[in-house]
Amino acid sequence: MATDGKPDRGRVDMNAEECKGCGLCIEACPPKVLRLADHLNHYGYHPAEYLGAGCTGCGICFFVCPEPGGITVLRLVLQPKAA
Amino acid sequence: MPKQLCKGNEAIVKAAVLAGCRAYYGYPITPASEIAEAAALYLPQAGGIFLQAESEVAAINMIFGAASAGVRAMSASSGPGISLMQEGFSYLAGAELPCVVADIMRGGPGLGNIAPEQGDYNQIVKGGGHGNYRTLVLAPASVQEMADLTTLAFDLADEYRNPVVVLADGNIGQVMEPVEFASRAFLPPPPEWAVMGTAETRRNMVTSLILEADVMERHLLKLEAKYQRAQREAVRVECWRTDDADFVLVGYGIVGRVLKAVVELARARGIAVGLLRPITLFPFPVAQIRELSRRAKAFAVVELSNGQLVDDVRLALEGRRPVEFYSRMGGNVPSAEEVLAFVERKFAAQEVLIHG
Repeated sequence: MATDGKPDRGRVDMNAEECKGCGLCIEACPPKVLRLADHLNHYGYHPAEYLGAGCTGCGICFFVCPEPGGITVLRLVLQPKAA
Repeated sequence: MPKQLCKGNEAIVKAAVLAGCRAYYGYPITPASEIAEAAALYLPQAGGIFLQAESEVAAINMIFGAASAGVRAMSASSGPGISLMQEGFSYLAGAELPCVVADIMRGGPGLGNIAPEQGDYNQIVKGGGHGNYRTLVLAPASVQEMADLTTLAFDLADEYRNPVVVLADGNIGQVMEPVEFASRAFLPPPPEWAVMGTAETRRNMVTSLILEADVMERHLLKLEAKYQRAQREAVRVECWRTDDADFVLVGYGIVGRVLKAVVELARARGIAVGLLRPITLFPFPVAQIRELSRRAKAFAVVELSNGQLVDDVRLALEGRRPVEFYSRMGGNVPSAEEVLAFVERKFAAQEVLIHG
């Protein structure tokens, strides 16, 4: 559940081992639900991580990320398709 | 009246006696036998008659006789016995005679088994007998409703001069629950159309035989007008958390109780589900279903039969919303978790990969 009380519309998977900690996604994220983790990945960077709630599935983080395979965005779709 | 612990089948008889039923004709069949057993005990005590007929065909025709004489009469059976009674239903409806019959459904077709099912929906709600008639159908979901709806059944039968069926499944018939009975009904004098072997009622005629085409057509239009009036005035339905429901589950009898648990479980997982439980199956809650379709995105019908109730829900919706269907048969009742898995499969938000 997002801070505004609305249910999540999506989810984002960060590939922590590929992340170089540039922070572009954190700047670009409209609902500000990403941050740099406290821990280090195997490159020695603080990887970006998802707060766990509030993602809208907009996909902007995917487009700003310079790392191929760094970010995966999933969107929640209501079933069945509206008739 | 104080509450008492009572079996569903027994509650039907106690409520019937309190409603003024003074004649029971029947033939025992599992899972409805306790009704005959209780009737044999309680009806003579109330000054009524219990008679074990040689078959269900005989029983329903004895009801024809009792109802013609203005006596509140009833019977009970299960699938195979009800099939035998269908001719009688047609004659009773044709002659505009009131009566109450309880159908405690078991597995079918044929001898099937003695476990609970809802496979009699079509033969009761759509009418298994010949001709242009309907039976009014009440579907209890608890022992309390077994009693309440039996009381209502006798009133509806008299009001509409038509057979009324209490359609329950083996679960509701066999389960024991606390129940509070209505107080003894005030009985009106025998109806003026009754044939009672007296000089005053000598000119009365109870028959379903009308040879002249125009007179027969007028009779049928009169019956049809009664069924239309029932559709306007007699519909009963329980709506549970439907005010903000995106998805509406539809089920009657024991299924309605399972679905109530499903509503709570699904809502805990963020799926806004509600329950519509028809209490009258004819008249069917068409208007109520259409009203819910203004908000709900989709409907799901759960029944213990092969897609019989779902037909009526589809007809009511006329394609307004998609209708999903889930059933168990042969005496199986789905668990709440099982139906929840179905609801999640059909209605839960699914994650779809958009980037990556």
